[in-house]
Amino acid sequence: MNFIAAIFTQTIRNLFQTWSSQVLTLMTISLSVLIFSFFYLIYTNVLHIGSQFEDDLRLIVYLDEEPGKAMQDQYRDKILKFDKVEKIVFVSSREAFKRFSNQLKQDRDILQDMPEDFLPPSIEIYPIRSLDTLTKIKRFSNYLQTLPGILKVQYGKQWIDRFYTFIQLLRIVVILSGVLLILTTTFTVGHTIRLTLMNRRKELELLRLLGASDHYIRLPFFFEGALQGLTGSALGLTALYLLFNWVKLRFEISASFELFHHPTFFPLPTLIMIIAISTLLCGCGSFSSTSKFLRL
Amino acid sequence: MKPGKKNTIMVELIKVSKFYRPDVHAITNVSLSVTQGEMLFLTGKSGAGKTTLLKLLSRVEKQTQGLVEVAGKDLSKLPQREIQKLRRNIGVAYQDFKLLPQRTVAQNIAIAMEVSYTRSSDIRMRTKKTLRQLGLADKYHTPVAKLSRGEQQRVAIARAVAGNPWIILADEPTGNLDHETTDLMMDLLRRYNEKGATIIIATHDESIYQNTRHRVIELKAGRIVSSNTMPDSSIGDSHAQEHELDTADE
Repeated sequence: MNFIAAIFTQTIRNLFQTWSSQVLTLMTISLSVLIFSFFYLIYTNVLHIGSQFEDDLRLIVYLDEEPGKAMQDQYRDKILKFDKVEKIVFVSSREAFKRFSNQLKQDRDILQDMPEDFLPPSIEIYPIRSLDTLTKIKRFSNYLQTLPGILKVQYGKQWIDRFYTFIQLLRIVVILSGVLLILTTTFTVGHTIRLTLMNRRKELELLRLLGASDHYIRLPFFFEGALQGLTGSALGLTALYLLFNWVKLRFEISASFELFHHPTFFPLPTLIMIIAISTLLCGCGSFSSTSKFLRL
Repeated sequence: MKPGKKNTIMVELIKVSKFYRPDVHAITNVSLSVTQGEMLFLTGKSGAGKTTLLKLLSRVEKQTQGLVEVAGKDLSKLPQREIQKLRRNIGVAYQDFKLLPQRTVAQNIAIAMEVSYTRSSDIRMRTKKTLRQLGLADKYHTPVAKLSRGEQQRVAIARAVAGNPWIILADEPTGNLDHETTDLMMDLLRRYNEKGATIIIATHDESIYQNTRHRVIELKAGRIVSSNTMPDSSIGDSHAQEHELDTADE
């Protein structure tokens, strides 16, 4: 029997011997992964919704006077220094007047007595679209207001502020549930392994007396934990997928759901990442809880 | 660490003492040499220090003073990994058996070979053979909890010898056996001894060493008090080595 076969045999034997506590641990891990991935899924979908509103998203910076060529270059540099943008458009007072006039169409007569430069010149900034553009806009606006010669920065402040707060809140929930996931899985798996160690104390002592190596004793526990993490996270994600599809089917016909357009589930790399992290966490939690025994 | 030629010293104890707190002197100033292939009986009443001596040899306990060498290695200086390797080559039949009651007889015997990564087919073969030799062939799949004390004792012996260790330490191996089974068990140990295994048997059962030509050492209150110095050179490769009987503190 080679080393791997021996470890594998030990792991299978351990699992069969303590199957009841294994099932409980599996359920706890599944639930933890489900809770975490549920919030994470909401978070990613909300970001997607945000990105769908961004098509006409731009910042309009009103200036106190018409900038010359040099000034325009200075503004451009300062803007790009903060972040890369899709497009920067300088709108002169006359251009603004022309646009306004076009917008008024048949009512443009009301502008007849107005001077063509009565509107302030402005800079239109189109940020690069990304998932967190909305959250970036707020910071961008704050920055622009610090530049000289700026009268006002305009964007959909109110709803972006609300959206920003919501995203922040969601982010905190995701982080907290992630931390809880880590604590729960490591604690639960560690606890199960400790119980197993206590139940199998005699056997493990015997193994020590017979000359079993540390790896021979500890690795099966690592694999046991890793297997719990792998199965538990896969089960949790499967449950989330079923839940996601159920919600999608149930609410697809409702008008308000159209807001969400096409809610998406996690892409494959994210799924693999969640499963891999859970597997590693559980394996390590399990492995580390055997150290105390080996010190005896 | 493989056993070497004839007359190689397999076990050596020089002025070894083992004290337990607060004031228990389990072993005091014991010096002893055992050559490869020798069979040695350690006798004495309960509490004489027989079990402690065996524990020192398998490094379950560490001596308080003196030198303990097994296969030429000073056990007090061996790192953990080397101790594990050494233990895989020492078969110990414990007085309290140390069997896993819920496991079958075969699983209990196999465990000693599994830790040495012996091939599964070899494990099965050796387990069956040893059980046959001890009259337990029909108990292969029986959980140990369902066996009598005598049968459990035989399983403990089987586990100690099945892996063909270099050294076999048996602590009161006949304590629960009838006359017939005792003979069976002693035959088994003799066979392993003939194959070259060094065997140390701690016992107070006079019947198993009464007419032996092997060396018998008597312990009393942790000291060697007598020894027949007539090593038996007629059995297999066994070569007894004259031992030092330390009587300095007598």
